[in-house]
Amino acid sequence: MENPSYNTDIVRSFVTWSLVWGLVAVLVGVIVSFQMINPDLNFGPYLTFGRLRPIHTNAGIYGWGVGTIFATFLYMVQRLCKQPLWSDKLAKFQLWFFNATIIASAVTLLLGYTTSKEYHEMEWPIDIMVVILWVVFAVNIIMTIINRKEEQMYISLWYMMAALIGVAILYLVNAAAVPASLFKSYSAYAGTNDANVHWWFGHNAVAMALTAPPLAMFYYFLPKSTGVPIYSHRLSIIAFWSLIFMYLWTGAHHLLWTPVPDWVQTLAMAFSIMLIAPSWGSVINGYLSMNGQWHQMKENYLVKFLILGITFYGLQTLQGPMQSIRSFSAFIHYTDWVPAHIHMGTMGWVSMISYACIYYLVTRISGRDLYSVPLANLHFWLALVGQLLWTVPLWVAGVLQAGMWNAMNEDGSLTYTFMETMVEMYPFWWARGIAGVIFMIGVLIFIYNIYMTVRKKESAPSTATAEGRA
Amino acid sequence: MDWASILYLGITFGLFVIFALIVVRTYSRKRKDENEVAKFRMLDDD
Ligand code: HEM
Repeated sequence: MENPSYNTDIVRSFVTWSLVWGLVAVLVGVIVSFQMINPDLNFGPYLTFGRLRPIHTNAGIYGWGVGTIFATFLYMVQRLCKQPLWSDKLAKFQLWFFNATIIASAVTLLLGYTTSKEYHEMEWPIDIMVVILWVVFAVNIIMTIINRKEEQMYISLWYMMAALIGVAILYLVNAAAVPASLFKSYSAYAGTNDANVHWWFGHNAVAMALTAPPLAMFYYFLPKSTGVPIYSHRLSIIAFWSLIFMYLWTGAHHLLWTPVPDWVQTLAMAFSIMLIAPSWGSVINGYLSMNGQWHQMKENYLVKFLILGITFYGLQTLQGPMQSIRSFSAFIHYTDWVPAHIHMGTMGWVSMISYACIYYLVTRISGRDLYSVPLANLHFWLALVGQLLWTVPLWVAGVLQAGMWNAMNEDGSLTYTFMETMVEMYPFWWARGIAGVIFMIGVLIFIYNIYMTVRKKESAPSTATAEGRA
Repeated sequence: MDWASILYLGITFGLFVIFALIVVRTYSRKRKDENEVAKFRMLDDD
């Protein structure tokens, strides 16, 4: 039974809003993917690809991703510390301010205000809102941890703290700018330095928003779902510290073959390869935690999402280091290979883990059985097939594109014009569009299942289903 | 070597030493049980 002094209302609200923004992100994603196939679908000036694309990425990362981080962190911290939230009022303020920030971001992006820095497009007034939001969140979580009744800190708390501190530093440094008017600013850094700072931010946003928090969730929700502890807490701690020591040096792998100094590029390359070790430390810990429990892959829908999620994390963290090698980067950089890498991360790793967490939270907090386990299983397959149908064709497309760009005639002239290489992409972009629709149907089924669960008339609470078993 | 490079090397070395100490502490035989207890405690009923 839930401890009545824990604040679960706030978790419920964040789950609701992250679902709303998650649906927006996927819907806009599907629209932009079809805009690439058919340019007539651009309705200017507000609904063009250029304006909708950052809405897709920001709604995905900050609305769906960070919304789920808020919900799960606020849930986990109370239980891992055996301590109610430090301030319920602050949490409530955070909820409203979060939605205000997302709406302000969407409106200004639609109006065409942008810093043009990828994943940091919002102009300076919204930057200030983001900083307030994050500080409020961080203070509440950290104060709860400080006041904890549980002496030992479970690994999820470490990842949570890293994310809180990491995002704050990255965002502040990259946001440094000189405002010229209410919605226009100029970066505090110039030229190559600007690019270097920006990708230090960009890559570590992947680390601190799309890696550390899902790992915190994975380490918490996997044992809670299977009922058995993780394989090794000590291994998780070493993997955590090595990840923290290594990640911050890798940003320049986004800038290979650019005017960024060679030694900075080489440093990024070396640390990116070293990152395989801590990443796989967590993957292996996850797999070994399933010793004697693999039957749950069949019986427990939560475990399916979690184990496939960590598997895609494992694949990402092999593919990423490979992309960080100069010669490999020279081939795939600027091609459709890279969006495929991103989407195995976001749709395969982050979203699979988030789905499991939300199913768990909703059944646990409401004390009700999930409305339909078969629908959850269908959602799993749609998410998996949708993601693979997205990523695999785009890797092939990337290799084809790179091959065509590099093809030369005997006299040294290029074999293909740029336009010819674009035309070759159409079948792959169709596959991506269809994959997006499949994934979105999965999201709609997920939301329907959650909605029916919470609105269901009284039913006896069941621990079995709360932990995901059919 | 200029001062900036020496500082850079010093910081890198310092970070490495801190990391090595964390590994030694985490895997010390004396603290084995203490370092594993959290994974059982988190499974307690909420
Ligand atoms: C060891 C771990 C990883 C390494 C070394 C790595 C490396 C890279 C590299 C080198 C690129 C740039 C490719 C190019 O433009 O040529 C890239 C892009 C990207 N990666 Fe990863 N990756 C890792 C894991 C992940 C994970 C887990 C995610 C989770 C979602 C992710 C998300 C992204 C994103 C969003 C981009 C796109 C940046 C852009 O818009 O240009 N990566 N990664």
